[in-house]
Amino acid sequence: MNDMRILERDVDANAIKIAAKGVQVYYGDTHAIKDVDVDIQDKTVTAFIGPSGCGKSTFLRCLNRMNDTIDVARVEGDIRIDGEDIYDKAVDPVQLRAKVGMVFQKPNPFPKSIFDNVAYGPRIHGLAKNKSDLDDIVERALRRAAIWNEVKDRLAAPGTGLSGGQQQRLCIARAVATEPEVLLMDEPCSALDPIATAQVEELIDELRQNYSVVIVTHSMQQAARVSQKTAFFHLGNLVEYGETGQIFTNPEDPRTESYITGRIG
Amino acid sequence: MALSLTGYVVLAVLVLTIAAFFAAKSKAKSTANGDVRLLHSLPNYYGYNAAMFTAVPALGIMLIWLLAQPMMIENSVFKLIPERIVEEGSSRGLVMSDVRRVAEGLDIAVAQGAITDTEADNIRSEARDIRALLGEVGVALGSDVEPEVLFAAQEYRTLSSVGAFWMAVVVLGVAFIGAAVSIVVSKADFRARNTVERGALALLILAASLAIMTTVGIVLSMLFESINFFRLHSWTDFFFGGSWAPNFRGDSDLSILPLLWGTLYISVIALLVAVPIGLFAAIYLSEYAGPKVRSAAKPLLEILAGIPTIVYGLFALLTVGPALVSIFGRGDQGLLGVEWMSGATAVLTAGLVMGIMLIPFVSSLSDDIINAVPQAMRDGSFGLGATQSETIRQVVLPAALPGIVGAVLLAASRAIGETMIVVLGAGAIAKFSLNPLEAMTTITTRIVSQLTGDTDFASPETLVAFALGLTLFVLTLGLNVLALYIVRKYREQYE
Repeated sequence: MNDMRILERDVDANAIKIAAKGVQVYYGDTHAIKDVDVDIQDKTVTAFIGPSGCGKSTFLRCLNRMNDTIDVARVEGDIRIDGEDIYDKAVDPVQLRAKVGMVFQKPNPFPKSIFDNVAYGPRIHGLAKNKSDLDDIVERALRRAAIWNEVKDRLAAPGTGLSGGQQQRLCIARAVATEPEVLLMDEPCSALDPIATAQVEELIDELRQNYSVVIVTHSMQQAARVSQKTAFFHLGNLVEYGETGQIFTNPEDPRTESYITGRIG
Repeated sequence: MALSLTGYVVLAVLVLTIAAFFAAKSKAKSTANGDVRLLHSLPNYYGYNAAMFTAVPALGIMLIWLLAQPMMIENSVFKLIPERIVEEGSSRGLVMSDVRRVAEGLDIAVAQGAITDTEADNIRSEARDIRALLGEVGVALGSDVEPEVLFAAQEYRTLSSVGAFWMAVVVLGVAFIGAAVSIVVSKADFRARNTVERGALALLILAASLAIMTTVGIVLSMLFESINFFRLHSWTDFFFGGSWAPNFRGDSDLSILPLLWGTLYISVIALLVAVPIGLFAAIYLSEYAGPKVRSAAKPLLEILAGIPTIVYGLFALLTVGPALVSIFGRGDQGLLGVEWMSGATAVLTAGLVMGIMLIPFVSSLSDDIINAVPQAMRDGSFGLGATQSETIRQVVLPAALPGIVGAVLLAASRAIGETMIVVLGAGAIAKFSLNPLEAMTTITTRIVSQLTGDTDFASPETLVAFALGLTLFVLTLGLNVLALYIVRKYREQYE
């Protein structure tokens, strides 16, 4: 694994963005997340790895309260973003999700034009003062998602007509356009080919300058390539959390080692 | 009751079929020396195969024979009727029906023992009063029987019994040959299973083509009657004239436009009621309601769809109409103190009730379509911080819009074709008016009224019903095709 050589990761001593303590999630009678504690740093890419069904996506969805849209899901524990408890009654989940953007596993552009897809969030939240301001926001988001050059001549074309990789970058642009502070990505490359994956990974690395990025991935190479911190989940437990280089070269827990060497999964 | 010859033939074929089933089955088993594993197919398949070859060709030939024989007999008997009998203003067809009636009468007389079979064949109208004879056995004739008619009727009887005899011979022969051949071939390596499979396929194709042929038949019969109508009445007046005033003494104004106006006006009011209510109900049920509410509310809503339309018609006539009159009519005693509405039947009455009828139609189709919008769309919108109603308005509904348009078009085609509600609720006056409180009439109501009571199928006043029906059919067919096209196009988008 060539990528393992990029081990000199510049992790600044950043402030903690998200602090989770004793998080439990239940789906009906199933105990999906068991007592997870994790501190996610600002301006860092944090990867969640683990076998299927280990709860990493569930935990990710706790961070912007997307689990609220599932009737049977119940979340306990304490999750704070910038010190504020996001499960407090005073917090409006709708406002929270504007602050904590999300990119999904499968590209899900709305059946609207490329422009309207990106302008969706800013319009809902009233981020643009006028039409030209909105144009600027859309252009900036598309540039940041590294797709501007490909779509600048056809902003009125439907977003669903783009290729898979372009659609996913459009979805990233859409998430970025609302100026979130945290960007959650749930296996953003699982539906993409290697070239599109490389583009999205490059993009994730650039987004790190402005956001705290949390990415769920099944690909350990991807976790190793893009993240500074890695958390390994297994059967609803957070087994190990630390520097990515540390996790991949010298894991403390035998389960982590088994997983990354391919013995459990 | 004694069976006719046809009945005995059917019975014989069935008995033969059952016999062939068991014979072929045991024949197949014996060729495999009792070891079922050596057979190509399970033993029953050999039986089914034999039964199929015994019954199907024989009964098929019988069916064709029964359809063809009367036509051929009539053609030959037809020549026996001289010009003289065909009176002024009458036709050969009418005389032929007399012949058939006399022939049937003779059959009944023989069956009741009033006369013998040979007597029936040789009786002469000069010798005996045939009218009185047949009257005794319960066959009433309109006039005395002419000798030529009686002769034709006797010929008719003879030919019929000869035909029936040969039919029995041919059908039983075919059944025997089918049974014999299929029993002989029932050996261990005969692929009975594949043959039965092809038989099943043929049955399914037959069912599918029957449905299609019936539709074609309906359209053709409407088309021919419409052509008859357009021979008697100018098509320009029918399609472009401005007045509907049928008059059974002739010289009527028969134009579709005033009826079309009433139809469309009532349908538009119905859709104005049904589409918003149905759509909002669908949105609530698919997006907001919990599983408990949904499982209770959806069947309740669909009960509306199970109410017969005549009941809706009564509701319109007895409840909604008078309620509207008490609001918009009755002068000073009315709710608004106005005198705008005089009777219970009005465009608004029929439109409102038809709208209620269409609610479950719109809501259940829209509900399916809204549910078909991928959850990923909603997640994407929620993930950007949109509220539920923003998500529905800006993501779910635009994604579902083509399908909803399709649903609305289907509802529109039902509204246009709806009959009972408008018969009872809309009134009978054909006119162009914008006032929804006036009575108007629709295409379907006029079809009903033109065809009820004593009708003469040679007058344009009756035949106009077929032209109206055909126009209505083309209209709703067009709407349905358009709706299906839109719905299908939408489905492709998410697959």
